[in-house]
Amino acid sequence: MRVVKLKKSFPGVVALDEIDLDIAEGEIHALVGENGAGKSTLIKLVVGAYQRDSGEIYFDNQPVEFVSPAQAFQSGLSVIYQENSLIPQLTVIQNIFLGVEYFSKLGFLDERKIYQHYQEITKQLGFNLPPHEKVKNLGVAEQKLVEILKALIHKAKFIIMDEPTASLSENEIEHLFKIISELKTQRVSVLYITHILREVFKIADRITVLRDGKKIDTVLTKEVDQDKVITLMVGESLKNAYTTSLASARKEQKEVLKVENLMRKPRVNGISFTASAGEVVGITGLRGAGKTELSRLIFGADPMGSGGIFVEGKPAKFNSPLGAVESGIALVPEDRKKDSLILMLELYKNITLPTLKQFADNGVISSQKEFAVVKEAVEKLDIRSAGLKQITKYLSGGNQQKVAISKWLQTEPKVLIMDEPTQGIDVKAKVEIYSIVRKLAEVGVCIIFISSEVAEVVNISDRILILSEGRISAQFSQGVSQEEVMRTILEEGS
Amino acid sequence: MEKNLNLKTTWSIISKNGILFIFLLLCVLLSIITPGFLSWANILNVLRQGSIIGIMAIGTTFVIIGGGFDISVGSTLVLTAAMCVGLQSYMHWSLAILAVLIIGAIIGFINGFLAAKIHIPAIIATLGTMTIVRGLAYLYTGGYPLYVEGRSFAYIGTGYLGPIPFPVILLLVLVAIWQFILVKTRFGRYACALGGNKEATRLSGVNVDYYHIMTFIVGGVMAAMSGVVYASRLLSVTPLAGQGYELDAIASTVIGGTSVAGGEGSVVRTLVGVLLLTIIANVFNLLGIHIYVQYVVKGVIILSAVGFDTYSKFRR
Repeated sequence: MRVVKLKKSFPGVVALDEIDLDIAEGEIHALVGENGAGKSTLIKLVVGAYQRDSGEIYFDNQPVEFVSPAQAFQSGLSVIYQENSLIPQLTVIQNIFLGVEYFSKLGFLDERKIYQHYQEITKQLGFNLPPHEKVKNLGVAEQKLVEILKALIHKAKFIIMDEPTASLSENEIEHLFKIISELKTQRVSVLYITHILREVFKIADRITVLRDGKKIDTVLTKEVDQDKVITLMVGESLKNAYTTSLASARKEQKEVLKVENLMRKPRVNGISFTASAGEVVGITGLRGAGKTELSRLIFGADPMGSGGIFVEGKPAKFNSPLGAVESGIALVPEDRKKDSLILMLELYKNITLPTLKQFADNGVISSQKEFAVVKEAVEKLDIRSAGLKQITKYLSGGNQQKVAISKWLQTEPKVLIMDEPTQGIDVKAKVEIYSIVRKLAEVGVCIIFISSEVAEVVNISDRILILSEGRISAQFSQGVSQEEVMRTILEEGS
Repeated sequence: MEKNLNLKTTWSIISKNGILFIFLLLCVLLSIITPGFLSWANILNVLRQGSIIGIMAIGTTFVIIGGGFDISVGSTLVLTAAMCVGLQSYMHWSLAILAVLIIGAIIGFINGFLAAKIHIPAIIATLGTMTIVRGLAYLYTGGYPLYVEGRSFAYIGTGYLGPIPFPVILLLVLVAIWQFILVKTRFGRYACALGGNKEATRLSGVNVDYYHIMTFIVGGVMAAMSGVVYASRLLSVTPLAGQGYELDAIASTVIGGTSVAGGEGSVVRTLVGVLLLTIIANVFNLLGIHIYVQYVVKGVIILSAVGFDTYSKFRR
C-alpha cells in the first residue's frame, strides 16, 4: 500500500496536506498524532468514505480509487473501527462469514464447510471463540477478535485498526497484540492508529507522525524513544493560532461546585474536585478516559452512581437533569445534534426551551416576552441566522453551538459544563466560543471546559485536570505548557 | 437571484400548506362536476359527518406530534359511548359525560405510561389497550346494543344552534382551543420539542415523561369526547361501533401534514385533513360510486400525502 501526495481540504481548512505514506506487506505501521491531526481523514480517504482532492493511492501496486468502504472491503482492505460493526443478534460464525457463506449445490447453507474453515483459521491464529455464541453476549475484546477474523475470512490483505485497545483490559490487549503479530506472519499489513505510545513501541515496525494535517516524519521504531515521538507529535515550538493564554489572574473566589468521590463504573472511578465561581476548569484526557460520562453524571443525565455533588455547599443529588438545572448546573453536551438541539424546531424555541416557564404564566406563552428575551440572547452571542424563526437544522455548526450555549445562559447557571464545545466548528467560531467562555467566567460563572484538544484546554483554563481511566491522574495550574500536558496524558495512558 | 428567492418562498408556502391548496382545488373541482355540492345543506352535512372523527383526530394529532401513536382511540370511542348511554340509567346525562371523559383520560394515561415509562413502542402498547378496551366494551354491553332516550342529551349530537348543527360548533370550538394550546402554551411547545428530540428535551431539564403521558391523555379524552357525540347522535351503541375510526383519525392527521416522526403538526390542518376525507366520501355518495372504491381511493390519498412529506424530507 502506498499513498502519494494525498490532499484533502474542507471549507476553511486543509485537513490533509500532501501526505506520502508507504506500508510494506506484512508490516505493522503505527499512525500517531493529536486529535485533529488528520488521522481519521486519512483513513476515510483511503477506504473511499471521502473523495480526495488530489494525490494517488496504490494498493498491491495498482492505483485504486474506492468509491465506498464496502468496495475497499471487497478488495481486501478492511477497517476495524472503535465502535464495532458486527450484527449483535447473529452468532460469531454467522458474523464472520456474512456475505461469503459456503453453499451446497442445492443452495442451502453448507454449515459443515463453514465450520471447517472457521476451525482452520482459528487454529492458525492460535485462539478460539465460542462459534455459536451470539456476538452481543461477547465482551468487547472478543468482539474485536471477531472483527479481525471477519476481515481475514474476507481475504483482507490490509487491516486498518482505529484505536483497537480503547476499551480493553491489560490482558486483552496482550492477547490482541499476539494476534496482530500472528497476522504479520500471514503477510497481512496492519495500519495501527492510536494515542497510546507504549502500544506503538510494543508492536509497530515503523511509526508515522501527523500534525495539523501534515506528515512530520516516518521513523523506524527501534531507532527512536517515546520522548522523541512526543516531540514530533507536539512540535518543538508550540506556535498555535491561539497561543496567548486567556486565563485571568484570579483572586480567591468562593467555591461553587464540589464533587466528592464520584463513581459510576466502568467509566467514572472515583473523581473528586472543586471549582470556584469565575473559574474555568479544563478537563482533558484520552478518548475513553471518562470525560463525557463525568459531565453527564454531574448533570444527572445518567442514573446516579455513588459519591456526592455539592453546589455552594449544599448537597445536590439528582436523578434527572431537571434537578441539576434547578440547582444551577447546566450542560452543553458533546453531541450537539443528538443531545442538545431539536433541529427541526425554530431557533427561538431551542433557546427558550429550558426557561419557558418564565414567559408562560398559567402555561400560556407570551410571545412578546419570549421574543424580547431571544432577541437579546441572539445579539449577546452574535448568533447569525436568517431570523429568529429559522429552523435550527439550517444554521452553521458554530451558530448551532452558540444556540446550545445560549439556551443555558437564560437559566443563569452557577456551573456551566461544556463537553467538547468546539468540536466540528470552524476556527473563527472556535475563537468566538473561547471569548464567550472567558466573558462568562468574568461575570462569575464557574465553567467546566471539557475537551480532548489539549491546545485549547491549556489556553483557556485557569486550572487543568487530566482524566485517565475514570480518575483524575494529574492537575496543573495555569501557565503549564501544552507540551507538558500532552506528555502527561500520553504517559498516563501508558 | 431575487426572483429565485421569491420562487423558493412561494414553493415553501405551497409545500407547507400543500394540503390546503389541494383541498381548495378539490372543492372547486367538485362544485363544478357535482351539482349540489356547494349547497349550504351539503356543506353542513359534510361538517357534521366529519365532527366525530374530527374531535378524535385532535387527540391523535397531539399524540403523533409528541412522537407517539395511538390506535386504541376507536375502542375508546365505543367503550365511552356505551358507558355514556348505560350510565344514564343511574345518573344525570351530564354526570355520565363527565364520567366517560375521566375513563378516556385513564385509558390515555395507561397508554402513555406504557409508552413513556415501560418503553413499549407506542403502536404496540396501544394495540394491546385497543384489544383490552374493545373487550371491556363487549363485557359492559353484554354484546347487545344499548339504548337511551332523552331530548337534552340528544342535543349534543343532533341539535342546532341557529342554523348550524351543534356538533359542528363543538368541533370548531375544540379545534380552536387545542390549536391555541398547541402553539401558545408550555404543554404544546414541550409536546413538539419531545416529539422532535426527546433526549435533547430531557437534557434541557424538561420532565419529558410527564408531557409524553399528557399527549396520550389528550388522545384518550378527545376519543371519549367523540364517543359522547357518537352516543348522543345515535342514542344507541353496539359494541361493534367505532371500528376503523382510529385509522380515519390517524389518516386525517397525517394528510394534514403532521409529521409521523413527531415534532411538527397543526390541529387546524388536521381538520382540513378530516374534511378532505369526508368530502371524498360525500362526493362518492352523491355520484353513487360504490363504497369499495372509496377504500381504494382513501388509501391512495393517505400514501400520496405521507409519501410527499417523507420523500421531500429525504431529498433535502
